[in-house]
Amino acid sequence: MIPRGVIQRGAPLRSIAAFLVLVNGLFPAIWILLTSLKTESELTRTPITYLPVAATLTNYVHAFHDQPLLRYLANSLIVASASTALTLLVSVMAAYALARLEISFRDLALAAIIAVSTFPLVTLLVPLFQTLRALGLLNTYVALVLPYTVLSLPICTLVLVSFFESIPVDLENAAMVDGSTRVGALVRVLLPLSAPGLATAGILAFVNSWDEFLLALSFNSNPAYRTLPVGITLYQGEFAFPWPEISAALVVGIVPVTALIILFQQRILAGLTAGGIKG
Amino acid sequence: MSVSVAGARSSLRRHRTWLDPRPAVLAAVLLAPASLLLALIVIYPVGRLVWTSFLQLNLTSGVPAQFAGIGNYVSVVQDPVFWQTLKNTAIIAVVTVPGALVVGMTLALVANLPFRRRWPVRLALLVPWALPLAFTGLIFAWFFNSQYGVVDDLLRRAGLPQPIWFNSVVLAMAAICITTIWKTSSFVALILFAGLQAIPPELYEAADVDGAGRIRQFVFITLPMLRPAIVVAMIFRTITALQTFDIPFTMTRGGPGDATRTLAMYVYQNTVDFLDLGYGSTLAVIMFLISMMVSVVYLRQIRTQA
Repeated sequence: MIPRGVIQRGAPLRSIAAFLVLVNGLFPAIWILLTSLKTESELTRTPITYLPVAATLTNYVHAFHDQPLLRYLANSLIVASASTALTLLVSVMAAYALARLEISFRDLALAAIIAVSTFPLVTLLVPLFQTLRALGLLNTYVALVLPYTVLSLPICTLVLVSFFESIPVDLENAAMVDGSTRVGALVRVLLPLSAPGLATAGILAFVNSWDEFLLALSFNSNPAYRTLPVGITLYQGEFAFPWPEISAALVVGIVPVTALIILFQQRILAGLTAGGIKG
Repeated sequence: MSVSVAGARSSLRRHRTWLDPRPAVLAAVLLAPASLLLALIVIYPVGRLVWTSFLQLNLTSGVPAQFAGIGNYVSVVQDPVFWQTLKNTAIIAVVTVPGALVVGMTLALVANLPFRRRWPVRLALLVPWALPLAFTGLIFAWFFNSQYGVVDDLLRRAGLPQPIWFNSVVLAMAAICITTIWKTSSFVALILFAGLQAIPPELYEAADVDGAGRIRQFVFITLPMLRPAIVVAMIFRTITALQTFDIPFTMTRGGPGDATRTLAMYVYQNTVDFLDLGYGSTLAVIMFLISMMVSVVYLRQIRTQA
């Protein structure tokens, strides 16, 4: 990108550009962290303070005490984990068939997967609401786990197909010559070699479920089944938005996914190149 | 070699059990769960949606469903709130899709510079990408708070007027667009960053030898090579922009009045709040058709790239 001769001369400019990108990307999260550490009286003072005058964890105590935040956190973890596990199971099966078995309608199936990945979620809102309501399944985990599995199925299948196809088929053939079944070769040879691809697909599925708002708000509005985004958005206080508690709750919601990202940043970037994803 | 493999295969064939079916059978078994899920959660609901859009069906009225023909569609066309929400959705798409492209391209170009440590800049792209849209809306609602928000403070320090963002039709929409561009530009940047890394450095070296400047290199090498990545990012952004819900819901709840209510919010309101499933379905079918038109363009682009 940068011609060689310019690198030395451009160094300070590069640092400034990098600094601006860092501020742009991280300031909102840092600002909400700083907000969460300020007392309510400091938050309702003008001119506003930037760093907390006397940092306190009171807002966190209130966030967990005034609302069942722990419940919301558990609900988000349960729904995201269950749908991630189910997505991985179903997409590994489908991806193996598409990558390794000779299927006459392979290209059609891949086109259908891409078509589903562009599907507007709002379209599913009305009929699923209607069906779940009739079956008495509103305010259950199932109400979210199944739609979230379908939401992530296309991208995870595409990631896994391209990952499986990058692994030489000879290793599985050798195992099959040695008497292993196809399924045995899949489980004992291909899957261990595909651990990075599985991690990528798993993170994408987890983040998709963790972030989803529309269906969670529509299907599980009962506090006992609210996920974090719904729970925090519906925090009610004396004022329209009780900012001290909301900021603390937001930090609680941001930390798990940020930790995942720091651990797996290389894998996520690899997954994004395997196909466009929703953002 | 091929004979021995074939021999081994044929010897295997004799020992087939239910755990070792023929490939065609195995393929059917492996694709069954995905097909079943798609049938249950996508195909059946869409069929039911289209059917319901022709019904008079409001769960609060207690009246059983009645066939209404195109009655709901006629009502939609005559509904000023529908046109208002369609206009709002279109404004958000027209402003934030190009906006996210310009900001995302800038971020990607910076992230692609040769830094000694690359992870901080990468992290600065990944954190906004993974931040839930609802969280983003709440955080930016706090930014734009008319008294205690950081935007208000910066405007005051700069000696500029400090408006009450969410009381103004135009400024509420502006705040939503700024927030949406911030949030979605990280996704665009990640896609474009991956595209930039795939461009062979030899192209730039050759351009250097030929004496082409940085701007010419950007226009004649970077942009054409990035075209596939730009197309993918733009189409996905357009489709998600048409479905905008989370950010306006968390920032303004559609207000003031209906000034920032989107089509998706109107579908939600009719379905969940009013339990008017007939009307909600009709609105959703119209959204579906608009979205499908974009998808068709997308699939065509992908085909021409392959």
